Amino acid sequence: MNKPIIAVAAIAVIAVAGWTWNESRYYDAPERPALNVVDIDGNIVGEYRAPLARDMLAEENAESIILGMRLLNETARLLPDNVGDGLNCNSCHMAQGKRPLGAPYINTINDYPKFMPRAQDVLNIQERINGCFRRSMNGVPLDESSVEMQAMVDYMDWLRGDVEKGNRVSIQNMEYFKVGQFTPDPVRGEQIYVQQCASCHGGNGEGMKDQFGDFIFPPLWGDESFNLGAGMARISRAAPFVLHNMPLGVSLDAPLGQITLSKQDAVDVSAYFTVKPRPDFPDKIHDWPGVPKPPDFRAH
Amino acid sequence: MKKATQIAIFSCAVLLVGAVAVAKSVPYWFAPLMDNPPQVDITDPELIAKGQYYARVADCVACHTAPGGKAFAGGLGMQTPLGAIYSTNITPDPETGIGNYSYADFERAVRRGIRPDNVALYPAMPFVSYMIAKDDEIEAMYAYFMSAVLPVKQDNQVATIPWPANMRWPLAWWQLIFAQPREFEENPSLTAQQNHGAYLVEGLAHCGACHTPRGIGFQEKSLSNNDSEQFLAGSVLEGWYAKSLRNEGVGLAIWSEEELVEFLRTGRTHHTAAFGSMSEVVEKSTQYFTDTDLHAIASYLMSLPPRKGYAANWQPTEDTTTAKLRSGNITEPGEIIYVQECAACHRMDGKGAPRVFPALAGNSIVFAEDPSSLIQVTMAGGKMADTKHDMMAFTMPGFYHLSNQDLADVLNFIRNGWGNHGSEISTRDIARMRRVVDHAPTHYVPHENVNVPQFSSIVGGASHE
Repeated sequence: MNKPIIAVAAIAVIAVAGWTWNESRYYDAPERPALNVVDIDGNIVGEYRAPLARDMLAEENAESIILGMRLLNETARLLPDNVGDGLNCNSCHMAQGKRPLGAPYINTINDYPKFMPRAQDVLNIQERINGCFRRSMNGVPLDESSVEMQAMVDYMDWLRGDVEKGNRVSIQNMEYFKVGQFTPDPVRGEQIYVQQCASCHGGNGEGMKDQFGDFIFPPLWGDESFNLGAGMARISRAAPFVLHNMPLGVSLDAPLGQITLSKQDAVDVSAYFTVKPRPDFPDKIHDWPGVPKPPDFRAH
Repeated sequence: MKKATQIAIFSCAVLLVGAVAVAKSVPYWFAPLMDNPPQVDITDPELIAKGQYYARVADCVACHTAPGGKAFAGGLGMQTPLGAIYSTNITPDPETGIGNYSYADFERAVRRGIRPDNVALYPAMPFVSYMIAKDDEIEAMYAYFMSAVLPVKQDNQVATIPWPANMRWPLAWWQLIFAQPREFEENPSLTAQQNHGAYLVEGLAHCGACHTPRGIGFQEKSLSNNDSEQFLAGSVLEGWYAKSLRNEGVGLAIWSEEELVEFLRTGRTHHTAAFGSMSEVVEKSTQYFTDTDLHAIASYLMSLPPRKGYAANWQPTEDTTTAKLRSGNITEPGEIIYVQECAACHRMDGKGAPRVFPALAGNSIVFAEDPSSLIQVTMAGGKMADTKHDMMAFTMPGFYHLSNQDLADVLNFIRNGWGNHGSEISTRDIARMRRVVDHAPTHYVPHENVNVPQFSSIVGGASHE
């Protein structure tokens, strides 16, 4: 009695399995969504998709692009003479510079040279990168004509794809919301920090290191953190970053860093960690020359 | 000739009628309601508390709660090759739940898989495991469900399996063949602690429901290590590979007993983390286990010998990957995709970040015999168990958007990097998993029973925009 039943069941199972196996051949990733490319007047003139990682290997200047990618990821380890703290470029520039609202590099090459309010001057891309070395990475500038500087520029240029100079991919680098409209509550910020940040950045903002002593998660305050001249030391810059990019790894949607905090949360936690002790930046007195300094300018 | 056909048709009809008739009679003689059921004092707080513990060990809530739905109200969809079946409402609501179950009804449903209306349950309900639970445990669970679970009015959802496969009478035959009554048998060669672990693993904790390979009739190939080395030898369910829990190279050989206890209690160790269904098992079940039970389970699993033909230990090859990636010698598609998509969290050394991002180097699910879980967690993402032991439960985002070729390349790199070694993953394997992910079952939660989550926020008064 049992044998025919099992035989029928077996045939049914094999038939279903065979059918699904065959049908599955048609499954692959959907076409990647494109971002609009707009010209200076805002007219849509094309589409942008980030170049595929695998295609990097086939580029003529692949060696330089790869070096640039590595320098942006592992700045502190690879450029110890220029980085004076535990941060890397990609501590703030999320997902290899590909994440909208996470300080992406996608438009960087096309946006520079650019007028920077802090310098009250037009800066080229090398000067802008060196601004990060001096402030966020609390170090010294990289030779503008060095192989390393060229490599970082080459990576950003690769990421731009075929978007021509003068055009932009229609993404936002950050959501600079009006932080001043919120009343910061650093006490509440500390509670949020303990619950949602300390697992990675440490109870004392010391970050987390790997087996080689390199930082996995950057220190948010203390001697190995960014200095007073860094954008991240200012609540108006820190809160928008935190809003869209922290905490990491709390969503099933790629890339990492999805909006889970409210603006008030982001303001409060930023009010807590930005004012912690950190290295000074003596040249800060030259920032915003001849114009009023912003309210969150860090004199000390 | 014509006559022969008539006889054949007639015989088939007789056989079918006979098969149905036997099936219909099965509940009455094969698994009748118990005589003289005990009087269970469902108001006894001590019994209720015990029942809550056993219900957690049995992890009833995991299957009997739909994502976003009310606890124990059912509606969780489970994918079968023929359609979805839905878990049932086991709250004490008298109309739609089990509120009218006598103790004898409850006992028979849990241990024998038969409803009060004498219809057999789908073997998705692990009654073959629960069968060995002790009377006092079932009684305590009855008290808990009747007195401490909130009744929810929610109709049971009908399975989407089409006729004739949705007929339930063949399930009675399934029970006759695969669910013969059994009792727990101690293994004299094990310690008392290990035997206690075996009792939990084979019984209420029903580890074999996912970790034991299933046969052609969806039956677990073995219900106890005393029967066969197929017990807990690893199995695929809904595209997740529940790995071998035997003390063998591709099983738990690289785990220590302490690590197992830590894993079951917190859902993670310093180098790995539960994901997929195991994450829910930890979150809803094992995190509540007593130390005694956890150690018993860990000790028992470590006692399971390797299968014949399987290496007892796992030997990593030399790690050349860390140095290659750190030196920037990046030449293969798998490597560049890893650096671009994965390395920010899992790192150049494949070691991740302790208790935050799992290591890939020497992670037993990465080099598991069957790569299904590795593929699915990469494609669909995963979430750690949220327990009281860690402040944050992290997720891995899904990389569904990467092409089959990209995923195959990067997974083969991971599966053979840092000293890992495992079988090749093909683009066809990726395609097949994409189909599974696309067809993931939907769940049934009626509008009025949507469980508004207590938003993790964090600190009182936070508003989420």
